[in-house]
Amino acid sequence: MMTRLWRAAPVLVLLAAACGGPPAPAATTPAPAPSDALRAAADSAAAARRDSVAAAARADSLARAERERVRADSVRMAVQHISSDTAPQAVAGGLAAADSALLADAIHFDYNRADIRAGDQAVLDRKLAVLAAHPRLEIQIAGNCDERGSDEYNLALGERRAAAAKRYLVAHGVAAARVAIVSYGKEHPLDPAHNEGAWTKNRRDDFVVTKGAR
Amino acid sequence: MRGGALAAAAAMLAAPAVLRAQDSTGSAPVGVRVGITYTPGTRPSVAVLPVATATLDSVRAVLQRDLDFSDRFEVLMPPASVAMRGGAPNYPGLTALGTDLAVAVVAGPAGDVDVQLHDVRTGSIRSHLSVTLPAGGEPLRQAVHRAADEVVRWVTGSPGVAATAILFVSDGRLWRVDPDGQGLANVPAAGRPTLSPAWSPDGRTIAYTAFVPGGRPLVLQDLASGSREVVPGTEYGVNITPEFSPDGRRLAYAHGDENGTDVYLYDVARRCCVTRLTVGRYYDNLSPTWSPDGQRLAFVSSRPGSPQLYVMSADGSGQEALAPFDYGSTGQSNGPEWSPDGQAVAFHREVGGVPQVFVMDLATRTVRQLTGEGRNEDPTWAPDGRHLAFASTRGGVRQLWIVDLETGRLRPLVTTGGARLPAWSPRRTFFSEAR
Repeated sequence: MMTRLWRAAPVLVLLAAACGGPPAPAATTPAPAPSDALRAAADSAAAARRDSVAAAARADSLARAERERVRADSVRMAVQHISSDTAPQAVAGGLAAADSALLADAIHFDYNRADIRAGDQAVLDRKLAVLAAHPRLEIQIAGNCDERGSDEYNLALGERRAAAAKRYLVAHGVAAARVAIVSYGKEHPLDPAHNEGAWTKNRRDDFVVTKGAR
Repeated sequence: MRGGALAAAAAMLAAPAVLRAQDSTGSAPVGVRVGITYTPGTRPSVAVLPVATATLDSVRAVLQRDLDFSDRFEVLMPPASVAMRGGAPNYPGLTALGTDLAVAVVAGPAGDVDVQLHDVRTGSIRSHLSVTLPAGGEPLRQAVHRAADEVVRWVTGSPGVAATAILFVSDGRLWRVDPDGQGLANVPAAGRPTLSPAWSPDGRTIAYTAFVPGGRPLVLQDLASGSREVVPGTEYGVNITPEFSPDGRRLAYAHGDENGTDVYLYDVARRCCVTRLTVGRYYDNLSPTWSPDGQRLAFVSSRPGSPQLYVMSADGSGQEALAPFDYGSTGQSNGPEWSPDGQAVAFHREVGGVPQVFVMDLATRTVRQLTGEGRNEDPTWAPDGRHLAFASTRGGVRQLWIVDLETGRLRPLVTTGGARLPAWSPRRTFFSEAR
């Protein structure tokens, strides 16, 4: 349910914006009818808990939709002047150096693939532990590619690579709202050489902490 | 019409050897052109006549280069002692040079300039054009480019492409340059890098991807005012490869999110409504390019495992593979652009890990490789349908080159290192309009 809501929110906002209407009312699920709620309250405490979970999910969804709306506004503002894309400010607040290092560990990909390698699951699992211990931490995953293929195709591929890591983290309990993704395509190679050694290094996800533990 | 199409297809099939030879030797072999005013295998020669003053000479120099770069003529520059007699064209002398045509630049009575096409055999002016010249700089050069395009039209029946512009990306910023390599200038644009510039058919609006903090939106930018707007919905995810429909009313582009990248249409004319054309899950669809009739879109899809060329109707139906490829052995194919005459699609494909420019003939669905030296990427058609600009490392650094498909002639366009993602404008642009 969480996952579905999370996916639905940006889509609804997108469609509303696309039709040129007023700013989208935050994407919400319809509130249960009063009679339903009354019956639920009367019937059992379990149903009440379910409702409270649903309410929390709605609140969470509302908060995310609001955050997305603010971010979309900032994107529209940003194109009105000459602004460079800047890497998010890495935040270390409240984290031990060892934890920071675990979170920053890159993962790598096979040529033209976006699935998580078996060996890299352990890298992500170590991040899971840090993220679980610091529930206020937020991160950005940046997908990167080697130079083969067009500039544009690699932007799409980089997006999928970042999304794959996010999917893994979310599937293992990290709230989707804590993980942003971005694609740099082949714009930021670690090694600019034209050989397999460089390509192997450049096919990667980078991880940056964007909101601290405190 | 049909015969013309077949002849053009035949000419395309005949050309690879010529172009490969060009790649390695740098010579300019004469190709085959089948058309109304040409004899196959020959190009008409045109003498550009000497002029009286320094101002006129700068005009003549631009004109002469434009005619040369049109690749439709053998351009002769005879000295005054041969070409002129008593301030007028020396028709017998020009005939002796073997040319039937001569172009003269003559000062008019009111400070204007008369560009004349002389028929040497009849000793008469076949066509002429009075040009009011701006004081200098880019406007002057654009005025001469427009005159040169008219001269090409007088001789061949279709205008040249000198008064066009090519947008490209270098150092993450957007630039424009004339097809003769002059007029290089930055186009202030949002974001850095700015990627994938595209022209509206009227040449007055551009679309591109802007890397800005927090997003990869598509921006529509009016060239005259510089005003910008974000295509709705592209505040989210990654948004790339915009292409205006031939009527300018719609914008096809790719929008990517966590489930993959797909082709969408935005109704630019009504500033409303986004339609999704492809549904890929965990693979990508991108780089849409319109057929000239606006009925179809070629695009790149990674559904077979690596990106290859596909085609669909403009409503998203009938998706099928376009260019032939062998699963697992053909290198990835990217950057398609449909030719202005509708008969071919240019793209780049990796050969042994190195991108090379290819052209696919749509009638026969056969591909031919145009390049073989260095990395060659992102071909873009000139509106004449016979020239392609592309990014190439053949000169040592990546820069832009232009190839004429009919003669195989190849020349560097700009020496700006790192130049990439060229987009050749339509015939009329904001830059070339009289100002």
